[in-house]
Amino acid sequence: MDCRQFALRMDDWLDGQLDAAARPSMQHHLNGCAGCRSGYRRAEELRAELRSLPAPEMRPGFAAQALARAAGARPRTERRVRLGLGMALATGVALALGVGMLLFAVRPEPVQTVVLSVRQPESVRLVFNAARALPGSTLTLRLPENVAIVGYGDRRELTWTTDLREGANLLRLPLVVNGPAAGDLVAQLSRGASTKTFRVKIKVRGADATGERPARFASL
Amino acid sequence: MPRFPLFRRNRTAASKFEDLMRPHVEFLYRLAWRFTGSVADAEDLLQDVLLKLYPRSGEVARIEQLRPWLAKVLYRQYVDFARRRARSPLADPAEEGSDEDEAAPASPEDDGPEARAERGEWRERLLAALEQLNPEQRAVLTMHDVEGYSLEELEALLEAPLGTLKSRLHRARRRLRAVLGMEPFASGERVKE
Repeated sequence: MDCRQFALRMDDWLDGQLDAAARPSMQHHLNGCAGCRSGYRRAEELRAELRSLPAPEMRPGFAAQALARAAGARPRTERRVRLGLGMALATGVALALGVGMLLFAVRPEPVQTVVLSVRQPESVRLVFNAARALPGSTLTLRLPENVAIVGYGDRRELTWTTDLREGANLLRLPLVVNGPAAGDLVAQLSRGASTKTFRVKIKVRGADATGERPARFASL
Repeated sequence: MPRFPLFRRNRTAASKFEDLMRPHVEFLYRLAWRFTGSVADAEDLLQDVLLKLYPRSGEVARIEQLRPWLAKVLYRQYVDFARRRARSPLADPAEEGSDEDEAAPASPEDDGPEARAERGEWRERLLAALEQLNPEQRAVLTMHDVEGYSLEELEALLEAPLGTLKSRLHRARRRLRAVLGMEPFASGERVKE
């Protein structure tokens, strides 16, 4: 038996699944191989760690709450969700947006601005604060000209079906500006018949100051 | 006072469902946490399972071995949940910084602060390493190595043949050891006979 064969059968041995005939050769190999002895010991340690891994206690009241929600599911959940979304869209869903260290919470109505450097990917974070969980929501992003999400080529529109949790939901977008950016990045969140649109204006860093870029950037 | 019959019927169904499920909720929660490693996700997962089961209360009541059956339902829901999560662009901002509500549970061992800190750090690494497993690997590893189910029991629970479970478990452990820098056969002395 060599180390590779030992490694292949080590789990069976640890699990007590190794047939009796194979045990002497495993033991013999283990006695003569410091590397496998050490590996075996580490594997045993890991199993012990896993076995002793504690799980947190359930939050007090959660069981009753979850059972009650399940029992009230059909008529109540759908109505609550729809109302939740409606309220959220009117007052509760805010779009927070940050670039790098800068993070500022904003209300949905004003158009926010992100400043990016040309051809320098930067992580832009959009935070959707939902007043309640919104499972099965559809999120669509539309990108302005010359703005791309790194890894998505020239795609101008991306759509996901996703579950929004109650509270903050982070969407991290690696954006890159490849030229004069015109227009807004549009994030559209919809669920059922309700839709809310958020806009983020993309500006190019230094465009109106350095003179290195076309003057038309000055208006951005 | 006369009561609205539909309300009474619903209340009865709800309380039957609660009686049926209540003894298993804590077990399901623990398993959900083992699968997801997150309090919020465990709660979401368990809630999804309960929502799914309530309309099937009659069927659930007829299950003889309810706990393993519930574990199977939870597992299926978890795989679906994990795949949807993987496809979703959204993350929890807490994952970027504060992990206040995901803090490791208090250690029952009564030893010094340094040992506790080291153990806490190690457990955090272990939980992070578990995140690297796919849902099927994580389920078999946590149910077998943490919860103590035998592979034979898991054949029925995870609906996979023994050979598949063994190889899944083997790959899960190997991946875990590699992520933790404990892979025993990645380097070092080799003996060939």
